[in-house]
Amino acid sequence: MDLSLFLQLIVNGLMSGGIYALIAAGFTLILGVIQVFNFSQGQFYMLGAYCTFGIVTSLGLPYPLGILAALAAMFLLGILFHFVIVQWTLPHGFFHTMLVTVAFSTMVGQASFLTFAADQGLVEPVIPGTLNIRGITLNNGKLLVIGGAIVVMVVLYYFMKTKIGTAMLAAAENKDVAQLQGINAKRIFWVTMAVGSGLCGVAGSLIVPVLSATNNMGMNAFIRSMLVVLIGGTGSMSGALLAAFMVGIVESFAFQYVGQLSLVAIFAFAAVLLFFRPGGLLGKPLPIPGQ
Amino acid sequence: MSKTTIGGAAALLLVLIGLPWFVNPYVLQVLILTIVYSMLGLAFSLTLRVGLPRFDVAAWWGVGAYVTAMLVLKAGVSFWLTIPAAGIVAVILGWVIFKIVIPRGMMVFLLAGMVLTMATQQIFASVPFFGGWGGTDVIPFPTIGPITFADKRAVYFLGLIFLGTNLLVYKVLLESRIGRAWTAIGSSLGLASSVGVNVVRYRMANVLIGNFFIAVAGSYLVASTLVAIPTMFTFTNSINVMMYVVVGGMGYSLTGPIIGALIVTFIPEYLRMAKEYEPIITSAAIILIIIFIPGGVLGLVRNGIKPWLARRLS
Repeated sequence: MDLSLFLQLIVNGLMSGGIYALIAAGFTLILGVIQVFNFSQGQFYMLGAYCTFGIVTSLGLPYPLGILAALAAMFLLGILFHFVIVQWTLPHGFFHTMLVTVAFSTMVGQASFLTFAADQGLVEPVIPGTLNIRGITLNNGKLLVIGGAIVVMVVLYYFMKTKIGTAMLAAAENKDVAQLQGINAKRIFWVTMAVGSGLCGVAGSLIVPVLSATNNMGMNAFIRSMLVVLIGGTGSMSGALLAAFMVGIVESFAFQYVGQLSLVAIFAFAAVLLFFRPGGLLGKPLPIPGQ
Repeated sequence: MSKTTIGGAAALLLVLIGLPWFVNPYVLQVLILTIVYSMLGLAFSLTLRVGLPRFDVAAWWGVGAYVTAMLVLKAGVSFWLTIPAAGIVAVILGWVIFKIVIPRGMMVFLLAGMVLTMATQQIFASVPFFGGWGGTDVIPFPTIGPITFADKRAVYFLGLIFLGTNLLVYKVLLESRIGRAWTAIGSSLGLASSVGVNVVRYRMANVLIGNFFIAVAGSYLVASTLVAIPTMFTFTNSINVMMYVVVGGMGYSLTGPIIGALIVTFIPEYLRMAKEYEPIITSAAIILIIIFIPGGVLGLVRNGIKPWLARRLS
């Protein structure tokens, strides 16, 4: 394989990885802090993409505004989702809440299919053209996605160090003690949902100049993000990050050689990894048996 | 058992047996599907008993169906022999996989289940031997002597036998020492472990028994559809089983999934006229049921309707 193809596949992989990292980070946050298995995580990603597409193409506004719009819209949708639906099932337990997110996911999927079916929205690349390094051509748009994803992750990192971010981490570790320390648990719930959804919204807005917004992009990305969370170690954000890029790159190379079977390839990759690092990539090597 | 229970059971049996002559063939087909889904739901419910939510149901269902279809088509094996074969294959494959997964805990099991569902669907679709996305060829109608299972009513009764056997085995297990160990693991894992219950081993047994019956449900499905196609064994099926259990009532391991399957399968049928809006309405209905009837239908009956009736009649 020549260097050009190799680097392009790496770029593709890092691009997908960046997206999976954002979605997985949001998912892990929601799972860890408020113990909700948010099955509709992927749909927020899809809606973010369509939102940006709509803002940029239909309203003709500049792309950065599209990103902000997606972030704000998904942030608000996450809050709405929490107050209208999730908060009523939380007292009934993990499965009830998970089921409600499944039903919501189906609802959103069908509703968006009916609304957007005709539109497969591709936004104009922000910096069109390609980058040329020593004769190797790399797509600018894709590099921008990688850059954007990294920027968002850095922002997230510093957000987790703020007062509210630390409160979220404290609540994740031990909700009761956190409340004893004066942390407003109610606020943590909707903030977490909002941040988790917002992350997906941004991911969607980042990818839309490169890959068109489609109806099943949400579930497709969500499936990969599940794998990322599985490999990275449930509850570990840094593990998810590393796993995301690995999954992205494996998928990219697998797609080149086996096309649709790339999904099976990453499943196999995940299986092998789990066999040797069952606690996740950066987690404990051996968990308590039978837990 | 009290006289009312026996009377009630007898009445139910009469209704079930008489049903095919009072409903149209379409409804009968939906009932057949409901029987299959009930068996899947029962397996989910069984594994929930040990604190593990299993999302791999569609995978083993597919394995069972494909084993049956392939054995009949390629090896000319009688349909009836493929039923235990399907179960055994699912148990062996399950053993290999769960040996690695179960010791890793609930969350890994949950995620691995989902991955398994998708992986098996992909494999069935991609490996040419299984017929690809178009699925297998059509198998001939199974027969027992003069009875050909071309008649939906015959398939329906066969289903009742499958479901009944499944229920019986689960009931016996749940009331045995094994069942008590399972309940202990499900209610308090640390405590169970500390008194010497081998959590991993009991969980393995539970999951593998479920595998057997899920695969058998797959065989039964092929008796009805006569074919195995990858698109029949989707992620949605794996997720839906949880819905049956919650809608039916999580505290009711045996009856909950059946009631839940009935409700969740029939709601979309009654909403057919809404066409493309149907998934939205069904999902909304499910959300409302989960929020307002968290104990499930059976929970509502026991905690809501029965006391109300008792007050009214006293």
